[in-house]
Amino acid sequence: MKTRPTIEEVLGVACMATLTLITLGNVVTRYLTDESFAWTEEISVFLIVVMTLAGAAGVAARDRHIRIEYFYDAGSPRRRRVLRVVAAVATVLVFTTLAVLFVATVAGEIRWAETSMGLGVPRWWFTFPIPVLCLAVAARAAQSGWRAWHDSAPAGTV
Amino acid sequence: MITVLLVGLFVLSMLAGVPIAVALGLGGLIAIGAANADAPWWGLLAAPQNMHASIAKYPLLALPMFVLVGSIFDRSGVARRLVTFAQACVGHGPGMLPLVAILVAMLLGGISGSGPATAAAVGAVMIAAMAKAGYPPAFSASVVGAAAATDILIPPSIAFIVYSVNVPGASVPALFAAGMVPGLLAGCALIVPAVLISRRHGFGAAGREAPKPPFWASLREASWGLAAPVLILGGMRLGWFTPTEAAVVAVAYGLFIGMAVHRSIGWRDLYPIFREATEVSAVIMLVLALAGIFAYSVNTLGIADPLVAFVKNLGLGSSGTLLLLFLVMTLVGMVLDGVSIFLVFLPLLYPLMIAFQWDPVWFGVLLTMKIAIGQFTPPMAVNLMVACRLAGVRIDETIPWVGWLIVSFVAAALVVLFVPEVALWLPRRLGY
Repeated sequence: MKTRPTIEEVLGVACMATLTLITLGNVVTRYLTDESFAWTEEISVFLIVVMTLAGAAGVAARDRHIRIEYFYDAGSPRRRRVLRVVAAVATVLVFTTLAVLFVATVAGEIRWAETSMGLGVPRWWFTFPIPVLCLAVAARAAQSGWRAWHDSAPAGTV
Repeated sequence: MITVLLVGLFVLSMLAGVPIAVALGLGGLIAIGAANADAPWWGLLAAPQNMHASIAKYPLLALPMFVLVGSIFDRSGVARRLVTFAQACVGHGPGMLPLVAILVAMLLGGISGSGPATAAAVGAVMIAAMAKAGYPPAFSASVVGAAAATDILIPPSIAFIVYSVNVPGASVPALFAAGMVPGLLAGCALIVPAVLISRRHGFGAAGREAPKPPFWASLREASWGLAAPVLILGGMRLGWFTPTEAAVVAVAYGLFIGMAVHRSIGWRDLYPIFREATEVSAVIMLVLALAGIFAYSVNTLGIADPLVAFVKNLGLGSSGTLLLLFLVMTLVGMVLDGVSIFLVFLPLLYPLMIAFQWDPVWFGVLLTMKIAIGQFTPPMAVNLMVACRLAGVRIDETIPWVGWLIVSFVAAALVVLFVPEVALWLPRRLGY
C-alpha cells in the first residue's frame, strides 16, 4: 500500500527527527563542554505534543488507533460499517470539542500575556498549533468514516 | 448518576470499537460537563489543561526515543546474528530452538522497550527456522509471542516509563532495575515448558543433523548486538546517561550498526523507520493525553474513594486484594492492551496502593508482569498476533501450546507477589 505522505505525517516525522537530534546534541555538548543547554527542554516538550497530535492524525486517517476489535471483528459487514462510522463520529466530536477548548485556552494566554517558564516567550506560541492539530485529527477521522460508509465491502483491520 | 454516565459511556463506546483514547476523552468530557452544569464552560476548561499536562513532560521523551530504538534494531540485522550465536552455544537438539528464541527475545528486551517490535524481530528469524526443523507453526508462534512479553519487564521498558510519569515515587531507573530479576525469572519460566513440550513431542528432531555454527565467528558477528544492552543499561547505571539520553545514544548506536556495520539499513529506509516510530509513539501518547482528562474526572468526581473503601472492607488483606486485582486485571487484559490498562486503571489503583501501603516500584513491576501476560493471552494479545501473522496461523490455534506458557508465567508473577524482594533487591542494592 503506497500512498503519498500527508502533511501531518511529514510533520510528525520531522518532530521525531528533531527531537532525536536535539537530545543527541545535548548529550554530546554536555560531554564536550560540561554545559547543557536546558533551554531546549521547553522546545522538546513542545515537539512531543506536536508529534503526538500530528502522528495521531496520520493514524486516524488509516483508522489504526488502538481499540477493542473483538465485537467489531465478530460482526457482519453491515455491523462493521456502522461501528466504524460510530467510531469516526465519536472521534470527530471529541477532537472538535477539544479544539474549541484549546482555542479558549490560547485566547486566555494571549489576554493575560502569559509567558513560558523556561524561555520567557509568550506561551501561546507553544499552544496555538494544538487546536489546529486537534481539528486535523477530527478531519482525518471524518474522512476515514466517510470512506467506511461508502465502501461497500469495508476492508478488515489490516 | 454521573459516575454511571462516565463509566457506562466509556465501557460502551470502547466495546463498540471506538479508539480507546477517544472513549477516554468522551467519557471524561461528558462527566466533567455533567458535574459542572452551572459553571462557565461547564468546567471543561480543565480538560485541555489536563490533556496538555499529561504529555508535556520532559521525562516522557524517553518513550518515543525507546520506541525509535525498537524500530531501528528491528531492522538492524542484530536479531539474526544473535540467533546464530545462541545456536552456536546450545546446538540443535530438540527444544533448543525455542530456547534460542526466548534467549534472543530477552537480549533484545535489553535493547528495545516494546513487545511487538521484539516479536516481529525474533519471529522474522525464528519462525521459519523452527518450521524447517519440524516445530509446528502454532507452537513457534506461541513461544515467540510469549518470549517477547519479557521485554516490557527487562529494562529498558516503555511500560515502566508510562507508569513512572503517572505515579509519584517510582523513578524510571528504580523501575528499570526492579524489572531486571523478575524479567529474567519470567524468561526462565517460559524456557522450562517450551523445552519440556518440545522434548515430549519430539519437536525439532529434523534439525539435529544441521551443523553447529562456528562459535568464535558467530560471537564476533553478534558482538555489536551484544554490546547494545551493556551500553544502554551500563551507561545508565554508571550515571553516564539519563534514561532519555541512553535511548538516544542507543538510536545513534543502532543506526551506526545498521548502516555502517551490518549494512541492513540504507538512507532510504530512514523515513519508514522514523514514521513507524512516530506513529507507534503517537498512538500510545494520545491514549496518555486523553487518559489525563479521564483521570481528572475520576478524581474530581470522587469515584475512587468508595471503590477503595469497598475493596478494603472486603477484608482480604494485602495479599488477598492483590490476588483479586490480579484476577480482575487478567480478565480485563483479555480485551484491552497493556498500556491502556495502566492508564484506565491507575486513577483507581493508585489510591488502593496508598491505602495498602504497597511499594510503588514493586506494584509497578507486578502490574507490568500482569500486562506482559496479557500480551500473549488470546484473544487480545498484541505480541501473539504479530507472531501468528508471521507464522501464518490463526490465534486460536496457539491455545493448546500457549496455555502452558501462561501458567508458567503466572507462577513467576506469583513469586514476585509473595516475595517482593525479588523485584526490590536490585534497585536497593544499586541505591535508587
